[in-house]
Amino acid sequence: MSAIVQVRDLVVSYASGDGPVCAVDGVSLSIGAGESVGIVGESGSGKSTLGMALGRLLAPGAAIEGGDIVVDGQSVARCSAPELRRLRRERLGFVFQNPMSALDPTLRVGRQLALALGREATPERIHELLGRAGLDTPATVARRFPHELSGGMAQRVTIAMAIARRPALLIADEPTASLDASIQGLILDLLLSLVRDTGASLLILSHDLRMVARRCRRTVVMYGGCIVEAGDSREVLAAPAHPYTQALIRAAAGHEGHGGRLTPIAGVPPVLRGRATACAFAPRCAAAQPRCHAERPAERALHGRTVACHFADAVPAQLHAAESP
Amino acid sequence: MSTPGRAILLRRLRRDRLGMLGAVLLLLLLLLSVLGPVLPLGDSTEIGAGPRLGPPTAAFPMGNDELGRSYLPRVVQGIGVTFALSSAAVAITALIGTALGIAAGYLGGVVDGLIARVADVLFAFPALLFGLLVAAVVGPGQISAIVVISTATLPLFVRVIRSVALSVAGREFALAAVVAGASPWRVMAVHILPNIAGAAIVQLTYALSIGMLIESGLSFLGLGVQPPDASLGSLLRLGSVYLNVSPWLALIPGVVLALAIMSVNLLGDAIRDGLEPLRGRALT
Repeated sequence: MSAIVQVRDLVVSYASGDGPVCAVDGVSLSIGAGESVGIVGESGSGKSTLGMALGRLLAPGAAIEGGDIVVDGQSVARCSAPELRRLRRERLGFVFQNPMSALDPTLRVGRQLALALGREATPERIHELLGRAGLDTPATVARRFPHELSGGMAQRVTIAMAIARRPALLIADEPTASLDASIQGLILDLLLSLVRDTGASLLILSHDLRMVARRCRRTVVMYGGCIVEAGDSREVLAAPAHPYTQALIRAAAGHEGHGGRLTPIAGVPPVLRGRATACAFAPRCAAAQPRCHAERPAERALHGRTVACHFADAVPAQLHAAESP
Repeated sequence: MSTPGRAILLRRLRRDRLGMLGAVLLLLLLLLSVLGPVLPLGDSTEIGAGPRLGPPTAAFPMGNDELGRSYLPRVVQGIGVTFALSSAAVAITALIGTALGIAAGYLGGVVDGLIARVADVLFAFPALLFGLLVAAVVGPGQISAIVVISTATLPLFVRVIRSVALSVAGREFALAAVVAGASPWRVMAVHILPNIAGAAIVQLTYALSIGMLIESGLSFLGLGVQPPDASLGSLLRLGSVYLNVSPWLALIPGVVLALAIMSVNLLGDAIRDGLEPLRGRALT
């Protein structure tokens, strides 16, 4: 499988009033053609920054300080402005969190799709796209203004816009976070079936581990700007190796038995000033050892996945012991 | 502005009584000044048409000025000149101000810093002092009046448009357009401009009322239109000389000026109120 995205040791930091804040701290990631990858993490884990960096869409004040991003053979960090525009237009599609703010309130849906399509824009093509995004009455929807649509319909329109130019990579940043729970699954399924049909790769950024891991082939868990665990979704979900992944699963509703309790993760995510020199999760980790506070764990292969934890092999037993005294 | 937005705005405007009063008054004054030359009001330049400083009579409804000219056609001409000069100046302000405001708000960085600093400097400079300066350099007259009004109303216009453009630029559809490969020019023209149009219209009405005030002030000081042309400001100045003999010469242009400015402000407030919830909605 050839890689559509190759991220190597990426470091991104934001300028802030009290010095730079390191949002992405040495991330390496590769996404194959047609692969679906879910990146899971809390707010501030760096997943959105990573997603935006793939299209060099970082906010002013954010800088790529190290590493490289190659999308479809082209270095995103180093290409010229016209090359970047062509890359964005022809290879990338973005779906944003809030569809209402991702649509221009002053333009009809059809006109916005026409702008996304560029030269290929014809009414037939616009209706076809809306239809593929699961809208039953494309002609009616095309004449509507965004405020006349429901949240779910609006998100389908933004998805139609994102796939208009047949992108090689579709990046969806919390695509369901602002939608009703009843349609969240439908929207994710739509994204997956669209990339299956077109052969595009899909990158979903989410805070919902279970929702993403059930649908994407591969799951990447981020914490404090680093990838802490990455591997086949089923395996990560069934047997999480990193203490943070385990904590995420315990904190989310779904699997607990009758009368069971959810365990929130104590503490708050870190704000990284400069690159981390220790394990970022150590202050909140139930199984942290002195070494975790002193030495940054390297990513290593374990049970067919990568884990960044000094004690990943020993942790499950320890945590189980801690849980059932 | 979007079509449904326009429909809602018009419906709200029709319900706003003060706003309607302002609109009707403004329309009357505009009609009067446009139709003034063809209406049977009398000749504004005929010296000695009536008694000098004569009081209002049936033949001269607003009396006569110090040269015996009929005052009514002169006031009507004054309204027209005041409107024309301030509108021309505000049109320039709106064009330049919208372009600069959008560029500053959307492009940010150095462009924003430069535009914002220049606007701040202009903002800090007193308009009338600047008027004296311009009049001294290019000579008093219509051109210098337009230049002064434009430079005086520009900074606030730019700052308001900049802040609105900044908030629009931060919304995801601007980013989505960039992903779709749109150039900065296209994002600004197709996405930012229509979204700030409402704010620009409101700001335009305020600029117009300030413009009329500045125009009158300049003409009052003799830096605006020159005789025999009249503007409300120059009439006010002449009238003030004869305040104790024929007070209506100052009173009439003063009241008309106040009414004109009030009508523009009422209309501006009504448009702002009409757009407020729309803007609120757009931000969700």
